[in-house]
Amino acid sequence: MAEVLALRVFDLDAHYKDFQALWAVSLDVKKGEVVSIIGANGSGKSTLLNTISGLLTPTRGTIEFFGQEIGDLVPHKTVAEGISLVPEGRRVFTRLTVNENLVMGSYVPRSRPNKNKSLKDIHELFPVLKARQNQMADTLSGGEQQMLAIGRALMSEPKLILCDEISLGLAPMIIKDIYKRLMQINAEGLTIVLVEQDIRRSLKAANHAYVMLEGKVVLEGEPSSLTEDEVKKAYFGL
Amino acid sequence: MEDFAQPIVNGILLGGLYAIIAIGMSTMFGIVKLVNLAHGDLMILGSFLSLSLGTWMGIGPLWTLLLVVPIMYFVGFFVQGFLLNRVLGKEMEPPLLVAFGVSIILQNLLLMIYTPDARSLMTDLAVKTIPITSYLNIPVIYLLDALIGVAVITILYLLFQRTYLGRAIRAASDDEVAARLMGVNTRNIYAKAMGIAMMSAGVAGVLVGMTFTFYPHTGPQYLIIAFGVVVIGGLGSMKGTLAGGLILALSQLLGAQIFGPGYQLFCGYVVLLIVLAVRPQGIFGTV
Amino acid sequence: MKKAIYNSRWYVLAALVLILGIVPLMGDQYLLFFCMLFFLYLALAQMWNLLAGYSGLISLGQQSFVGMGGYVVAVMSNYYGVYIWLGVLLGGVFSALLGLFMSLFIFRMKGVYFAIGTWIFSEALLIWFSNWEYTKYGMGLFIKPNPNISMTEIYYASLIVGVGSVALVYGILRSKLGLGLMAMRDDEAVSETMGVEVFRSKLYCFLIGAFVTGSTAGILYIFQVFIQPYKAFAIDWTVKLVFIVIIGGIGTLEGPIVGAFVFVLLSQTLAEYFSVSMLILGAIAILVILIAPKGIMGTLQEKLGFEILSPRRK
Repeated sequence: MAEVLALRVFDLDAHYKDFQALWAVSLDVKKGEVVSIIGANGSGKSTLLNTISGLLTPTRGTIEFFGQEIGDLVPHKTVAEGISLVPEGRRVFTRLTVNENLVMGSYVPRSRPNKNKSLKDIHELFPVLKARQNQMADTLSGGEQQMLAIGRALMSEPKLILCDEISLGLAPMIIKDIYKRLMQINAEGLTIVLVEQDIRRSLKAANHAYVMLEGKVVLEGEPSSLTEDEVKKAYFGL
Repeated sequence: MEDFAQPIVNGILLGGLYAIIAIGMSTMFGIVKLVNLAHGDLMILGSFLSLSLGTWMGIGPLWTLLLVVPIMYFVGFFVQGFLLNRVLGKEMEPPLLVAFGVSIILQNLLLMIYTPDARSLMTDLAVKTIPITSYLNIPVIYLLDALIGVAVITILYLLFQRTYLGRAIRAASDDEVAARLMGVNTRNIYAKAMGIAMMSAGVAGVLVGMTFTFYPHTGPQYLIIAFGVVVIGGLGSMKGTLAGGLILALSQLLGAQIFGPGYQLFCGYVVLLIVLAVRPQGIFGTV
Repeated sequence: MKKAIYNSRWYVLAALVLILGIVPLMGDQYLLFFCMLFFLYLALAQMWNLLAGYSGLISLGQQSFVGMGGYVVAVMSNYYGVYIWLGVLLGGVFSALLGLFMSLFIFRMKGVYFAIGTWIFSEALLIWFSNWEYTKYGMGLFIKPNPNISMTEIYYASLIVGVGSVALVYGILRSKLGLGLMAMRDDEAVSETMGVEVFRSKLYCFLIGAFVTGSTAGILYIFQVFIQPYKAFAIDWTVKLVFIVIIGGIGTLEGPIVGAFVFVLLSQTLAEYFSVSMLILGAIAILVILIAPKGIMGTLQEKLGFEILSPRRK
């Protein structure tokens, strides 16, 4: 099978006002892959995802999505192109019901016609969301909210999903469950980028991994080719 | 007791009118955390629009709604999209002051065009009453105000619950960033929300014009009424808005009955100040 | 060059005040009138600036104190024949007392609630005064100064409140109270940790503002001779003050000076078209907020890199 590049980030800089958060970051994601980006707090991984999704505009460099330049696009354009971000901290709409949250996921015109089918798929993937469909989202547990955030992101029928710290603050059993579902959707062809602080879990799930430190990519490779020692050194900047 | 029957009935009906005056401001307050200080003036703009259109085309005030409501949508869309959106999100003061500026500009513009004379939207409904007992009549115009008020609020409720636009507005007010990640162009949504708010203000303006006299300077008086309803009823709840309108209108009319007509507004203000001091989040507010 | 301007600022200011002090000797009635209005609006606006620009209190109810100050002068001169300048002072005192009473209600409110709370208070006062027999309902009262006073005296009184208000705010900002306010403005976290202190500083500023606004209004109404509730307690007062401060530069000492000048100039030039001048002011204010949110002086200060009247200690 010819390898198609889903996402190519090249030489990317990004700033928060005067503070430079990304320094010449380059990264490739092939179609159908799971790519992990690991790094400590403040290493720039979330910034990278925010820049790809358009919340932040890069100050230098390019972002290509299936060969098309998307660096200057605002979020509602990148979502329409097929990139979905599961944001850090889940950010479900607390005053909307579970189903309303999911329906919001199908807001872009492209995915509205398939709303009912997508909803059914998500209910199958995460049965708990079906059981709680008419509850307000803020009555859900942390794990359920994370499933809702993922489900909501999937409702737009993305080609690429970016997951920011989805295991943060969750019990190991729940993390395992969520990862299992993610691998299941990956097997159905969805490309996934995972950002995690949890080195071991995300390395296990990934086809390819990047380690970030202070806004730069300091190490990359296939998880099997990286030694734990190597990764730890890069992670902590030793 | 007979003395109070009429003010109570009038107060209940007037409550519906107050609720529709307030609903647009309450909506925007909930979404962009902005008190639109020009809300009353924009509503009065609706009254004057109806006056001009009615005179020009020779149609009754209720028929002018067909034009006033869409025009008000674009006015709202413009005010939010081109003025308020540009100062959103930093601090509280700039949007507040921009809205204040819009209020003053509108008042003086209306003053220049229409002179300071009192106006009203003529309709034969204004003098009709339905007699109930020897001491109680239901003024038809008040009844109409209340019915239309409840109807508009119900329509808005359905819009917010059942449509993509309504859900997007609620989502954006809940978490702006997350809404953007769903593909919502939040700035555009805010402008549309203001447009919708101004549609309701347009209806309110026509009803107010049919029920009372109005001047270019009447706006702030209704802004305070709208704010009062929001304060008493709390934010973001349609039921609360109706209850708030009811309480404010009743306290005004009962106050007028007890202390004399000169104190009608005064009693409303005192109730408001007390609510603000005791429960700043409103009686029905949750935050 | 910049340094030269900066170092000689006190001399320039002293000279300016001196020149303004001899305006009555020049015999130009219009100039006298113009400068008088300028000083009165400067004092009123500087107080709004003290609240909105330094204390984080957006008051839309300054007209409460304008009306109170005016009515106290009217009542004192009419009913009790009180010495007119004492009446002005009492106007300030009563306004401060009113402020204290208002604070019982509105100091529990924050942000926009505070803003509208102050406004509602003024509206309630408006209705109260127009239903009050003692103040002749809505018909209003004439002010009968005792003794009879000349325009020159009113001018000097205005000069005192105008220059005095600037000096007062300058003094406040350099005092312990002001340092607290500045710290609060620069850093939200500071204000969180000293809740009671913040509350007290804000209250002091509110009361000082009420006192100066009330006395200034007293002088203004001596000049106007006649007071009515619909004018005295109208939101229009605060509208003007807001525009003056926004256009001049909120949170700068010089802002209200420049703003008051622009305002008086515009309103006098268009005296016969009050609506037009308000419309233009409203439009200018919106433009300023959108394009140069720091106002004329705030923007100038950024360009020049110094403040003429810097309240910060070296």
